[in-house]
Amino acid sequence: MAERTRVEQNLTYATPRESARYQQRALLVGALFLVLFIVGAFLPITIGGGIDQFFHSYLVGFMFWLGVAMGCLGLLMLQHLTGGAWGLVIRRVLEAGTRVLPLMFLLFLPLAIFGLPHLYEWMHRTEITEKALRAVLEAKKNYLNPTFFLIRAAVYFAIWFALMFFLNRWSADQDRTAERRYSKNMTALSGPGIILFVLTTTFASVDWVMSLDAEWFSTIYGLIYVAGWTLSAFSFVIAVMVWLATRPPLEGEVRAAHFHDLGKLLLAFVMLWAYFAFSQFLIIWSGNIPEEAEWYLNRLRGGWGWIGVAVVLLHFALPFVLLLSRDLKRNARRLATIALFILVMRFVDLYWLIVPEFNRGHFKFEWMSIVCPIAFGGLWIAFFFWQLRLRPLLPINDPYFDEAIEHGKHGGH
Amino acid sequence: MPESDQPHDEVRVHETTPLIEPGHTFASVTDKISSLVLKRRTPLGWFIGFGISFMLFQLFMLAVTNLVFTGVGIFGTNQPVGWAMPIINFVWWIGIGHAGTLISAILLLLRQEWRTSINRFAEAMTLFAVACAGMYPVFHLGRPWLAYWLFPYPNTMGIWPQFRSPLMWDVFAVSTYATVSALFWFIGLIPDFATLRDRAKSRGWQILYGLLAMGWRGSARHWARYEMAYLLLAGLATPLVLSVHTIVSFDFAVAQLPGWHATIFPPYFVAGAIYAGFAMVLTLTIPLRKFYGLEDFITDRHLRNMAKVMLATGLIVAYGYMMEAFFGWYSANKYERFMIWNRMTGPYWQFYWALILCNIVTPQLLWIRRIRHSTLALFIISLVVGVGMWLERFVIVVTSLHRDFLPSSWGMYWPTVWDWSMFIGTIGLFLTLLFLFIRFLPIISIFEMRTILPQAEVEEEAA
Amino acid sequence: METKPPLYGLMAEFDNPTDLVEAARQTYDEGYRRINGYSPFPIEELAEAIGFHKTRLPLIVLLGGIFGGLAGYFMMYYMEVIDYPLNVGGRPFHSWPAFMPITFETTVLCAALAAVFGMLALNKLPQPYHPVFNAERFALATRDRFFLVIEARDPKFDHDKTLAFMWSLNPKEVVDVEV
Repeated sequence: MAERTRVEQNLTYATPRESARYQQRALLVGALFLVLFIVGAFLPITIGGGIDQFFHSYLVGFMFWLGVAMGCLGLLMLQHLTGGAWGLVIRRVLEAGTRVLPLMFLLFLPLAIFGLPHLYEWMHRTEITEKALRAVLEAKKNYLNPTFFLIRAAVYFAIWFALMFFLNRWSADQDRTAERRYSKNMTALSGPGIILFVLTTTFASVDWVMSLDAEWFSTIYGLIYVAGWTLSAFSFVIAVMVWLATRPPLEGEVRAAHFHDLGKLLLAFVMLWAYFAFSQFLIIWSGNIPEEAEWYLNRLRGGWGWIGVAVVLLHFALPFVLLLSRDLKRNARRLATIALFILVMRFVDLYWLIVPEFNRGHFKFEWMSIVCPIAFGGLWIAFFFWQLRLRPLLPINDPYFDEAIEHGKHGGH
Repeated sequence: MPESDQPHDEVRVHETTPLIEPGHTFASVTDKISSLVLKRRTPLGWFIGFGISFMLFQLFMLAVTNLVFTGVGIFGTNQPVGWAMPIINFVWWIGIGHAGTLISAILLLLRQEWRTSINRFAEAMTLFAVACAGMYPVFHLGRPWLAYWLFPYPNTMGIWPQFRSPLMWDVFAVSTYATVSALFWFIGLIPDFATLRDRAKSRGWQILYGLLAMGWRGSARHWARYEMAYLLLAGLATPLVLSVHTIVSFDFAVAQLPGWHATIFPPYFVAGAIYAGFAMVLTLTIPLRKFYGLEDFITDRHLRNMAKVMLATGLIVAYGYMMEAFFGWYSANKYERFMIWNRMTGPYWQFYWALILCNIVTPQLLWIRRIRHSTLALFIISLVVGVGMWLERFVIVVTSLHRDFLPSSWGMYWPTVWDWSMFIGTIGLFLTLLFLFIRFLPIISIFEMRTILPQAEVEEEAA
Repeated sequence: METKPPLYGLMAEFDNPTDLVEAARQTYDEGYRRINGYSPFPIEELAEAIGFHKTRLPLIVLLGGIFGGLAGYFMMYYMEVIDYPLNVGGRPFHSWPAFMPITFETTVLCAALAAVFGMLALNKLPQPYHPVFNAERFALATRDRFFLVIEARDPKFDHDKTLAFMWSLNPKEVVDVEV
């Protein structure tokens, strides 16, 4: 009898019931911190509040959670293109992650409508007296102006929504009809889709973060975000997968061999991110051109350097060394711990990229920049669990389904 | 296992073309590949190909002799274009080498079994390409007999190399790369040397292959350590190959010159290297498999997969061009803007647009299924990409240098006959080595081909 | 007058990997320990069947890599900071970012050398002579045949009993291998 119920459960692969509780708690935490965050906007500057501070922190929280959702989109298309058991077992989590993008769009609206003057120096082009900066802003006014900025943002979101919509829709259709052509459709869309993903990520990162310092530019910057967002999403997905794999219905279906593959990919993404980030640093450090080097000086002087050291050691070195171990990658719980740790370090890295722009030359701990990501994170996770529960946890009608599950039962190396 | 009664073959629907034609056995695979080496008569086509390559190689010898006797003045290198054909060709060759390591190492880690029939050949290509690349830094020094000065060794002058220079990084990167590639290749060959030892008819070849096989006897313990070593080497070669072209890109990017000083250079150079390398692998394997009748082992699926890798890396390269152009404009820096504008419309505009045509426009044809399935089309596209990647290095090196910051220092650069002789000569060197390799060593890894036969699977009895 | 040359062991021949692995398992279960399998390509199950589980190679490679990295870095540190400090464009003598690429290269170089020479040393290669080569058909071990050897040194080895046991494994042939 027990055998039978398990089979029945397996066929639907429903999300464990506890997820509803997590969803409520996440929503509660999100709402509480959101209230705190909004209150912070009206608190005096002396205790770390204020409207400018509100939007600075808003950008940090927004970019962090946007990264997780967007990384899910990129990974979803990547696994459609490469195939493989690792992609199939995390596909539903990735899909649910992409379906949080509408929330991110809602969160973008306040930033777009009210936030720009509080964030970007190019909004104040005409008021700037410093000659050199003024000249640069004049030269860039065709690109860095609010109208074009908003048009571009609309294009990015339109592209992201389109990719999200079709990939999710076809996947759901395949669940219903078991037709193979949907797999083909998804693969066919993912080729051009991933190109669009890389391009929109590049330009969005330039628009929303790089242009905080309108003088500075770096051609690898977009790729750092592509790698970073993918890494954020991958860490998040691994943590969720471990949670799912330790209870029915996925218990026994997603196994050590799957986590081994996911661990290897996590290591690859950690290395890829570090490669991009270090390349940029070494080239700018060696070139030592004043206009460029200043960007790093802002992030190394006045205490910020310690955050930089922490990023090198904890975002790269520590996970790198740990993930070399085969046993660790096959131990789901430990892998999840590292993944969550990397996710936290992704936040530290983003803090280090954004916040020094508003606090040049002196380290500042902004409590608002902690509150905001927690608030958005609560909403994000609640939204995510709500979406995750709408569908079976595995794409049962995928043509490679049996093979992918079977893969977990053989060791792999 | 409850799933075992499900029809699995029906599931594998996309992969209609196998990696190895059905009907082969351990013996037939072994005999077919080793006979290419062991059969006594050398085909006439080989002599013709080798003859032409060897003649081109003589052109290299001639150019180098003149170079050593006369000096580097025989090249077109000048002021302001102080880096020219030697570095262009160095980068081109070393890039070509990268596909070999990629196929043997990265695809091994990704468990892509289709690499098996092309990895040996691609690794050989890597070694020969690195050898050709190595000629340029050595000979353009002017006093090639002092090339060992590049390495840090205790010397009577009491000085050391200057490690803040990317050129020193290059010395270490390229020599490490050459060493590790050679080891990887040799390790892969050991079991096949043993096969040749046991198959060779004449005493001389038995002894020679026997020495190279070092007493390999296929012991299970040996195989276990061997496989571990091979896997670890693959794990090391993967970041190594990325680091090599990254460091080559630092040669340029670390300078302050507009057009060179770009942070995108490392990934964009690496992608370009793999792109050119796969183009070269296709250029060589398509005629080779036809000539030696190896279509059973290097199937159409191999060619299609390589075409897909080419398309993907080509798109990354396109991203690189796009970022250069966009940030050239976005920077609002007059030197950056001039540089990119000068590339597109300046005296070398033909090179830039030819590069775009070869490297970006043409490969888009690979999106089309029919093109990917046409051997001839793949051959032509890979030749075009090979040319395109040479043009890319020409554009990066020459157009960035020929317009100095001061208009009074502007100039032009055109390669001399000796520049071309040396370049064409290294192609001769490359092909000469390749022909020797084809004649004396198994061009396909025999033991790895055995592993992908269905009979190699150990059938487990249902417990 | 006929003196039998000393015996290295008994060798059974199989024509497919499944039979060899099965035979190796039975031999191991029977209590033989000085056994070895020979095959034309690596068979993961075979190493396990004869009781070979882990190799120390990864540790050797790790140590090689650590040595290479430290040696590379401190080589540069000694040359650039201690022995021959030279001002280049105002960059510090101890320019750690610029030392990274070579540190990486020497790490990989030494780790790769450790992998290759470690593997050869653990396998005791090159080894010009080995008794198994005395078996006439052993040349096929590099083509399409699979061999199982029980050494005479095995405490459980008894020529006639072991011979009978090996014939029970369904081999194509069993032969004596001389030292």
